[in-house]
Amino acid sequence: MKGTVYAAFVTFRTIEELDTALREADYLPDRGLATALFLALALEKPVLLEGEAGVGKTEAAKALATALDARLIRLQCYEGLDVSHAVYEWNYPRQLLHIRAAQEGTVSEEELFGPEFLIRRPLLEAIDTDAPVVLLIDEIDRADEEFEAFLLEVLSDFQITIPELGTIRARRKPAVILTSNRTRELHDALKRRALFHWIGHPSIEREVEIVRLRVPGIPERLANEAAAFVRGLRALDLAKPPGVAETIDWAQALAALGREEIDAEVVQQTLGSILKYREDIETVRDETLVGLIEEARTAGS
Amino acid sequence: MQGSSIVRHVVTFGRVLREVGIEVGPGRVADAVRGLGTVDLTRQDDVYFTLRQTLVSRHDELELFDRAFVAWFLRGPVAPLVRQKQTRRWADRVTGDTLQAGADGDDADDASTPHELGASGHELLREKDFAEMTPEEFERVRKLMAAIARTRPRRRSRRRSPDPRGDVLDLRRLCRKSLRSGGEPIEQPWKARKSVPRKLVVLCDISGSMDAYARALLFYLHAIVGTGAGVEAFAFGTRLTRLTPDLATRDPEAALARANEIAVDWGSGTRIGASLAEFNALYGRRALSRGAVVVIVSDGWERDDPDLVGREMAKLARAAFAVVWVNPLKGNPEYQPLAGGMRAALPFVDRFLPGHNLRSLEELGAVLAGIERRHAA
Repeated sequence: MKGTVYAAFVTFRTIEELDTALREADYLPDRGLATALFLALALEKPVLLEGEAGVGKTEAAKALATALDARLIRLQCYEGLDVSHAVYEWNYPRQLLHIRAAQEGTVSEEELFGPEFLIRRPLLEAIDTDAPVVLLIDEIDRADEEFEAFLLEVLSDFQITIPELGTIRARRKPAVILTSNRTRELHDALKRRALFHWIGHPSIEREVEIVRLRVPGIPERLANEAAAFVRGLRALDLAKPPGVAETIDWAQALAALGREEIDAEVVQQTLGSILKYREDIETVRDETLVGLIEEARTAGS
Repeated sequence: MQGSSIVRHVVTFGRVLREVGIEVGPGRVADAVRGLGTVDLTRQDDVYFTLRQTLVSRHDELELFDRAFVAWFLRGPVAPLVRQKQTRRWADRVTGDTLQAGADGDDADDASTPHELGASGHELLREKDFAEMTPEEFERVRKLMAAIARTRPRRRSRRRSPDPRGDVLDLRRLCRKSLRSGGEPIEQPWKARKSVPRKLVVLCDISGSMDAYARALLFYLHAIVGTGAGVEAFAFGTRLTRLTPDLATRDPEAALARANEIAVDWGSGTRIGASLAEFNALYGRRALSRGAVVVIVSDGWERDDPDLVGREMAKLARAAFAVVWVNPLKGNPEYQPLAGGMRAALPFVDRFLPGHNLRSLEELGAVLAGIERRHAA
């Protein structure tokens, strides 16, 4: 890919510089994540972020786009995702109308499959642009394996071939972030092409820091207790342990209720914003709940 | 570390990683060297993350990497890898004391039956309990399993492909064809959803009492893995271990030997509930079981708390498309599901089948091919 400019106008010379820019975008990365994003830019390689749901994988991509002053283009993956939803599609109704309007014999195939009839989907959009782009390929593990193979091709050449139009080459390589919840292992070939970073749950200090950043004006004690309580929940055997996103939602709810600290009553009222499964809510009842609140209050004071 | 010294360090470290079983290609080593060129080498955490993010690509390799990093760069003392205690190889046991394993009094054929079987012999073989087969008979049965394995549950893909009996117009082709007729869609190409294999997850009890059956089922699984993607196999005894990569590459006998070393403590009984809990926590959360047909192969003898079996089965059943329990003891007409673990599990089981001989595997194959959601057991 000689001659192709990389994603950004903005460059970061050190990890600290990137870290500062991400913080200014309201995102608090730990050193490992900051290093991963820094290396992705420095080595011009895609980075694969894996981790439990809710640890901030998608947020990281958004923050990086803000830090780079780049456009974020997101491709949300799902089972059955195909080229017509990921790359491009022809606008058939317009094509048919066009043929009719032109009367017989006057429409050539080149005309019919020209750019004005092309619907551009995220991958094409990310490649066929002059602006800097962060391309977020979200939850790649949900897509079919066939799509993964196709994606691999796009990520190695940064070009897309449309039979009717020819090959479109990236003039500026997008910075690529892939995320996976590990519902399945990805192909080795795709992994070989990307840097890999595992995001775990943040330390308690960092989580408090995150809550205070995302819920401005939250009482310090409440932020401490909320983070400590969620941390206690993660230690239990739950079907879906709460992520940072849940901690933020919950802290927001508590702050909105005008709370200064947590108690059994308010936790019971708001538990649904942290735990999303009925069985989890049942696990966290009575003595377990009282115990967790006690611990959180001790830790928070 | 400067220049060529960095290169030497990283190359040697790559070799160390390969020794502990992490696959490190030359491209990765080159990335690591380039990466180290951009970060502050006096910061240990930056060096650590740079190496980790460039050299490791799997979550389950992180622990190995950490150990190697501590040993190599920090010169720290390293605890030896905990190795599970060595057990006898499968093959030894099979020829030795197989007969007492799992045989439940249904001994119409005894071990001295002549092995040269004709057409009727073939029928006999289909009915014969796996636990009572000689190695030669077993070898012959293996070959028949591949055919059964081809019947797998299927689901409709969201993707469509051209199909004259399809349900949706293929507009791309329609437009192209209409060109010739001045915009009149005379020909109408259709497309339909393809049917693709449904995810299949098999959890196989390989504890002592299940010996002979587990072996037969693993050969069956091996054949199923050969039918394509979307099959996940696990073995459990006192612990759970994932078999899928082994079954894809190795011979099932070797896979079973390895699983035995990891997952079975001899004489300590089966921990079904704990193994299911491990599965739910590690893999269920990663949605491996979501929408899948889950097949559990076990005699249902739980060493610990049967209630745990029930609780974990409930979780599993909620995520799965359907749950099939294969219990070789059910081959005996007198069998009653009295074992605590079995009783606790049954309310969450959609289909309860034997699996003690080739005929019952055929039945399993048929059930898997036609299974629908939430059958009564």
